[in-house]
Amino acid sequence: METEAQAKQIVEEAKSRAQEILAHASEQAQEVRQTSTTEAERRRVQMLRETRDKAEADARSSDVETDSLLENYKKLFENRKDAAVKKAVELVLGA
Amino acid sequence: MAESLEKLHNRILSDAKLKAAGIVEHAESKSRQVLDEAQAQAQRDANDILSRASLEAESIRRSILSSRIRANRLRILEEKNKIVQNVLKSVEQSLSDIAGSDQFESTLKRFVAEAVEAVGTDNAIVKIGFRNAERKSLHSLEQSLPKGTKFLADETAIDELGGVIASDAGGKMIFNNSFRARLERLDNQLLTIISSTIFGE
Repeated sequence: METEAQAKQIVEEAKSRAQEILAHASEQAQEVRQTSTTEAERRRVQMLRETRDKAEADARSSDVETDSLLENYKKLFENRKDAAVKKAVELVLGA
Repeated sequence: MAESLEKLHNRILSDAKLKAAGIVEHAESKSRQVLDEAQAQAQRDANDILSRASLEAESIRRSILSSRIRANRLRILEEKNKIVQNVLKSVEQSLSDIAGSDQFESTLKRFVAEAVEAVGTDNAIVKIGFRNAERKSLHSLEQSLPKGTKFLADETAIDELGGVIASDAGGKMIFNNSFRARLERLDNQLLTIISSTIFGE
């Protein structure tokens, strides 16, 4: 009887150890997923911030380009207005 | 007898240890599997998050850029339109002042000839109205009109800028050769000539 009890104890201890191994594995698995998700979320936030910053820089660049174009139009207008009026009047007169 | 019992005792313990080792080994194997699956799932979740982030980033980029680019295109169009309208206003001013220029008589004769030809009758009625037109210019024209043509000189500028309107006697056929009417007829060509001269387009 004593031997059987001893044998039973060995098996029970192994089962208990197995439970511990599985519980630990489950904790580790949870940790792996949590770490991975946290890292992915961090990269997502960084990606969105970088994209927004880049887009706003591009938008500012578009504003500057447009301002420069409008300034150029004003100069062209001042320099070429008389020629444009002359040509348009000639067209209307059919001369 | 005692030896046999000792062997049985050892055998029982040995079996138990073997079974225990199997249980632990199985648990370790299962543990490795759980971890492998967790890592694979974690990778899939991360890929999913980054893939959605990529789409989200593209949407943010478009939203910021497209609205700004649209606004800037509108600014450009508005400026161009303002410039073209400014030129057209000056054109109208030049046309309404034509009676004081040396081009007046030749232009008037050409406009009248075009209008009379368009109406296509021997008894056309020609109405003329320019700002600040001298009577003598109008009378010299009257003498050059085809026989049968009735001449009416208006004190005010026709369609505000001046011009000529010819019609048949019944008023069914009318040809408006005022500056305003010509501006409207030449609308597309005027925009093209003004744009190409100012903007080089």
